[in-house]
Amino acid sequence: MAAASPAAGIDWDRLWRGLAVVVAYGLPVFFILLPLGTFLVYSLFWVEGTQMHYELTLVNYKRFFTEQIYIPVLRQTIVLCLEVAALGIAFGYPVAHFLSSLRGRKKYTLLMLLLVPLLMSYIIKMYAIRAILGGTGFLNRALLALHILDKPSDFFVFNLNAILLTQTVLLLPFAILPIFLSLERIPKSLMDASADLGAANWQSFARVTLPLSLPGVVSAAVFVFVLAIGDFLTPQMVGGQNGFTFGRIIYSQFGFAYNWPFGAALSVILAALVIVAIAIGVRFGGRRAGVA
Amino acid sequence: MLDRPAPDNLGRAGSFRGTAPGGPMAEPRTLLALKGVSKSFGATRVLEGIDLAVEDGEFITILGPSGSGKTTILRLIGGFTQPDQGEILLDGRDIAHDPINRRPFNTVFQDYALFPHMTVAGNVGYGLKVRGRRSAEIEKRVKETLDLVQLGNFRDRYPAQLSGGQKQRVALARAIICEPRLILLDEPLAALDVELRKQMQQFLKVIHREIKTTFLFVTHDQEEAIAMADRICVMNYGKVLQLGSPTEVYYRPHSEFVARFFGDNNLIEGKLAKTDGNRRFVETSIGALPCILDDTPEQLAAPTGGRAFAVIRPEAIRIDTGHGWPARSVDVIVSGAVTSVDFGGASTVAQVEAVGVDGAVPLRVKLPSRVDGLPIRPGDRVRLGWQAADCRMVTG
Repeated sequence: MAAASPAAGIDWDRLWRGLAVVVAYGLPVFFILLPLGTFLVYSLFWVEGTQMHYELTLVNYKRFFTEQIYIPVLRQTIVLCLEVAALGIAFGYPVAHFLSSLRGRKKYTLLMLLLVPLLMSYIIKMYAIRAILGGTGFLNRALLALHILDKPSDFFVFNLNAILLTQTVLLLPFAILPIFLSLERIPKSLMDASADLGAANWQSFARVTLPLSLPGVVSAAVFVFVLAIGDFLTPQMVGGQNGFTFGRIIYSQFGFAYNWPFGAALSVILAALVIVAIAIGVRFGGRRAGVA
Repeated sequence: MLDRPAPDNLGRAGSFRGTAPGGPMAEPRTLLALKGVSKSFGATRVLEGIDLAVEDGEFITILGPSGSGKTTILRLIGGFTQPDQGEILLDGRDIAHDPINRRPFNTVFQDYALFPHMTVAGNVGYGLKVRGRRSAEIEKRVKETLDLVQLGNFRDRYPAQLSGGQKQRVALARAIICEPRLILLDEPLAALDVELRKQMQQFLKVIHREIKTTFLFVTHDQEEAIAMADRICVMNYGKVLQLGSPTEVYYRPHSEFVARFFGDNNLIEGKLAKTDGNRRFVETSIGALPCILDDTPEQLAAPTGGRAFAVIRPEAIRIDTGHGWPARSVDVIVSGAVTSVDFGGASTVAQVEAVGVDGAVPLRVKLPSRVDGLPIRPGDRVRLGWQAADCRMVTG
């Protein structure tokens, strides 16, 4: 393709390079920046009944800060997603550590198995989890059989606990992967050196492995947090009446309330939050990671 | 964590080589002994029946090409891997299966293995910290040790901010602060450039003299081994080929491999002939060459008529350009033609095609360089001579 055609006098090489530049910059602009910009602009319009008013105003943002319901729900959602991130790391770290302690083929086979759920449909996974958590679900029946409970509990379904458990399960692979990668990057010789200098295994872990894997832990936390906070489907399906999250409010503004500008304003606020979370991740997760 | 006697109780002062200050203890004391140690990785036999005694206080170098098993020996002693067979005796006790952190040895790793998230002081103090020493003591010892390796001003730097030579010294300081019985060095100078390498070699020797601890140094570099070691253990194919002082392995090789391994040696192939006192003759195409016997088992067992090499170092060969022999007389004289003369700094190497009745043999002759050049040119007819005392034989 790059072969020049001197007769036509067209510099194909330059043309292709130019096209590549246009595509490389054009695609993100068209598919990411443009929609974001649209949201930003929409959030400055307002709605009266079913009538859109295309005039710039900050009324939507004012509503967010003045009405009693939004900030508490946002705070509750942030706390929930922090809990999801914390649980994800609590479960993900041991798994990642175990994985990276394996050798050769076993390691990558197991890693693949852990990542398989990512390829499955979100909806199917959620129904499965709902079936496990529900009143007559596996979890309740198991607890009954073990005589831990005398009657089925609704502790696990249609509330914030259900969202917490479901999101943790669904997002666990996103916690495992960054931690696994950061553990893999620690040279084996550092463990040898630590033991050689007299450290017991737990000392080597506490003083060498853990500090050096912290960037991965931060990345994992940010990953899980950002995915959890943007997720409205899980709360919608397992949250019930009590499990109200910020994502569901946004969803309802576009769906039932038909107030796109207000929904857009809430989305912009959420996006700002996500950007802050990612910035924290870059600041603390990326640093020192390259030092070897 | 490690219960070790204080340094003065180790009894190493009296056994330190050559400098025995008190007592009649000329006999060196064995610190560590490998007995019949074998190791395989899968189907590959890496070490085969290794016997090696490390003397207390010495600087011993394990020298061999890559794949010779030298690093495996170091890793076995350090505890990073276990032998399939054999014992590793420390003060007579088998430690072959003790965990790494219970062995009173410390290692300087090839890639230094400094902890990237700790400062120089943090790295150096690590061994004391994990042993639960008080921070005041750690601080004091870290300072002393950093002063010893001349890095007093670098205590707050991170490893990423150090040069290769500085990292090297941090790794050394981190090992010696633990007062190990034995310091294991795994090709620690391999990553440094030539000039820095020379400096570090001297530096390591100074440190060795200063702290009087046993050093076991692994390298593939012959010159480095010769420059540093009290004793050299030459290895190949998982076996110890020769163990001796640098001059012994350099001038009195016991095998063809060792003879070839130390630089540009001349090996003249031939057949073993008669023995005459402490000499044995090797029948070569340039004549029967007398070689001094060291009475090694290999030399004594070699049958007459068997394949052998007369070994003569290039710097031991004299050259006569028609003005007679300089300085001292020679026992063996051959004639030949100069094929090339290569100036190499301090010395000049001449290639001479030595001609005998049964053929020709290329010989390398090393001569001190001179500012006005040597009076030989390619094509010159010359006579070569050497003393029988400079010639050894190895079986092939």
